[in-house]
Amino acid sequence: MLERSAPRDPARPPPGVIAGVGASALGVAQEVGGIVLLTADVARALVPPRIDSRELWKSLYKMGYRSVPIVVLTALFAGGLMTVQAGPFVKKFGATALAGWAAGYAVLRELGPILIALMFSGRVGANNTAELSTMTVTEQLDGLRALAIDPIRFLVVPRVLAMMTMLVALTVIGDLVALTGAAIVGHVMLDIEWSTMYHGFVDNLRPFDFLHGIYKAIAFGAAIAVSSCYFGITVRGGAVGVGRAVNAAVVAAAASIMLLDFFLTYLTG
Amino acid sequence: MTDRHAPPGWLRQRIETVGAAVLDSGWAARELWLVYVGTWAGIVRRLSRRHLQGRPHGEITRQLHAIGNRSLAFIAVTLGFIGMVMAYEACLQISRVTGDFSQIGGQLLRLIVSDFAPTLAALMLATRVGAGIAAEIGSMKVTEQIDALRMSGVLPIDYLIVPRFIASLVMTLLLSVLGGVFMYAAGGLTAKYSFGVNPGVFFDASQVRGRHVVLLILKATSYGAAIPVVAGFCGLRARGSSEGVGWATTAAVIGGSFAVIFLDFAISAAALLLTGGDL
Amino acid sequence: MTAPPPAAADAPAAATSTAAAPPSTAFIEYRAVSKAFAGQPVLRDLSLSISRGEILFIVGTSGVGKSVAIKLLIGLYRIDAGEIWFDGQRVDQLPERALAPLRKRIGMVFQSATLFDSMTLAENVALPLRKHRRLAWSAALDDARRRLAQVHMTEHADRYPAELSDGMRKRAAIARTLALDPEVVLFDEPTTGLDPVSARRIDRLIRELASRLGVTAVVVSHDPPSIFGTADRIALLYQGAIRALATPDALRASPDPIVQQFITGQSTGPMETPGF
Repeated sequence: MLERSAPRDPARPPPGVIAGVGASALGVAQEVGGIVLLTADVARALVPPRIDSRELWKSLYKMGYRSVPIVVLTALFAGGLMTVQAGPFVKKFGATALAGWAAGYAVLRELGPILIALMFSGRVGANNTAELSTMTVTEQLDGLRALAIDPIRFLVVPRVLAMMTMLVALTVIGDLVALTGAAIVGHVMLDIEWSTMYHGFVDNLRPFDFLHGIYKAIAFGAAIAVSSCYFGITVRGGAVGVGRAVNAAVVAAAASIMLLDFFLTYLTG
Repeated sequence: MTDRHAPPGWLRQRIETVGAAVLDSGWAARELWLVYVGTWAGIVRRLSRRHLQGRPHGEITRQLHAIGNRSLAFIAVTLGFIGMVMAYEACLQISRVTGDFSQIGGQLLRLIVSDFAPTLAALMLATRVGAGIAAEIGSMKVTEQIDALRMSGVLPIDYLIVPRFIASLVMTLLLSVLGGVFMYAAGGLTAKYSFGVNPGVFFDASQVRGRHVVLLILKATSYGAAIPVVAGFCGLRARGSSEGVGWATTAAVIGGSFAVIFLDFAISAAALLLTGGDL
Repeated sequence: MTAPPPAAADAPAAATSTAAAPPSTAFIEYRAVSKAFAGQPVLRDLSLSISRGEILFIVGTSGVGKSVAIKLLIGLYRIDAGEIWFDGQRVDQLPERALAPLRKRIGMVFQSATLFDSMTLAENVALPLRKHRRLAWSAALDDARRRLAQVHMTEHADRYPAELSDGMRKRAAIARTLALDPEVVLFDEPTTGLDPVSARRIDRLIRELASRLGVTAVVVSHDPPSIFGTADRIALLYQGAIRALATPDALRASPDPIVQQFITGQSTGPMETPGF
């Protein structure tokens, strides 16, 4: 990551591979533990649900406003890409009706939720980490505590709820845009009629496929939110620390998206 | 940022905001292009003045390690799980429609080679490596280390971006291939244990053509070039202190990811058109 | 009131007395408090009592642990050993949730102001009112504007912290801290980084708080005009403990060479830098 900031002591022998792996594993375990503890704190703060509504609305607005353009663009290309990948089969077998099915199925169940979550993590999650870690290094969190305001209840809980809500909303929007993208590419590059594409979606896709993507989005939203907040409020050391925190947060979010995706697909399939 | 105390007239303010954003992105595009050109110029300078002093010694090796070795576990885990999910979803659909699993492995490998391996590996690297580069260069920028480099007569692009660019080119290609192997192996295991697909049937390279390998190399090198340039550009644009570094890191992740998706679409669509639909 | 003998802080008796100590009768009392960061001791057997309504300055060289000492009182850091008492209650062992009532009675003005970037000054001051006084948003904002007027910041109420100078930010932070009408206000270097005129205004504000509202002020500082112009008593922190505790005049007259070196600001002398 940032090796420059931590030069190895030349007098010490280079650590062995096993020691290195062990150190990384310990680091990962510590971070996972911290994220789990923060999740528990957030859950506890929700029990009497006294949520700061101003912070919640502000977060919802900022997160939506920031991420809609990039999600729409991403979804458009991603949907088109699925049709491009399905193209050879369509050409080979003349199975134009199946293009909509293949693209739609991939978009609704996997590609849509995953890509939108990755983009959301990069845009909103990273931004949230940057914001919270800047507040942490400038002692604004201690400022809150000195005013007898719990930073978890006041800052973290509204952000977590806002991110989960927003990611679901963006996944719905993104799904629609991606299907549009798939239809456009199918029409322009593979000469598939609009109506064929439409029937390909409507006749072969079940509401459950759509729901499958939505509950993935809820889980991804929670994972992105908690890990981005965790790295934000535990940051150490000025500007360098902020950059490192954002880096760690997006990596943790990407890894947890992939793991959750596997478990959700496997357990509910 | 816009002035929060602009006189009333939200419409004028809106127009000003949009105008400023357009101008700003125009300048940003130009700067991004300059960083890209500057990187290639730096590579040429590096090659032509091989024995010149003041060049960071072993910097490329260090970056190869930083980008490659330290991303290997991350790529293996994420792409492995994606491979399992893909094989699972594909088998699930086929078991509902025909129940004929004989084609699945070959087709999956074709998709992995021509698209999923380089694109998904690069999406992961855009977060892992792109954010790291932006955080590092951004921190140096706001603590005025970049200015110190300039004062001592070293071009920041040559010193900071060129080694990362070269390392990223090599490592993205290598990690794409490795990631593809993880994906395919994990997918094969899932197909066997969840649907009883015989590994002998699943592991089938007959569908992979030379053009798919060309696509893999082309995509991996394009992404490998885009990620450090976008990240370095974002890092060099950092202003202020900790907010600036946070901004740069965020922008690098989103810019890098979007660059990967856009390049993927552009290259895949061009290939589809060139091969007349028989990709 | 003269300085206690320097050896007092090192007396081992202080450490053993923690077993069954009687409740403190002082308003605020530190008993043999120790605190280390990453194995590096910062405070070592610090004992200090503060009476209601006084203005106490904690002074010392940079890095000596002055800020840490006051942050311990409201639980922003945890002590390693010793006891801290406030108004007859032991506070150093309270869990985070139980600290809320304490933090409403003891306000703190941070060195870096710590106003929230995303809120205007009025919104910053209204936040504690809205959270703890259960005021509606508009009522809280009205009250916030009144409180900003008390620190002469009315015309800047709708601006964001980033648009203001350090002195203005500090005054707004004081208004925010005073919003909950605390009995004690901790100031962490309130005049550091300010121009002399702004600094004297802050000093006057601290004196007014004490004389008009009876607020106890604990001020961390190393700004001599502020220290000698404002303090009722001055505690010199040196090597993790109180080296001298006296009125400004008594401190000036102190024969202790360490105290004299701090007051006169000589670069050479018996004092080791940094303080520990």
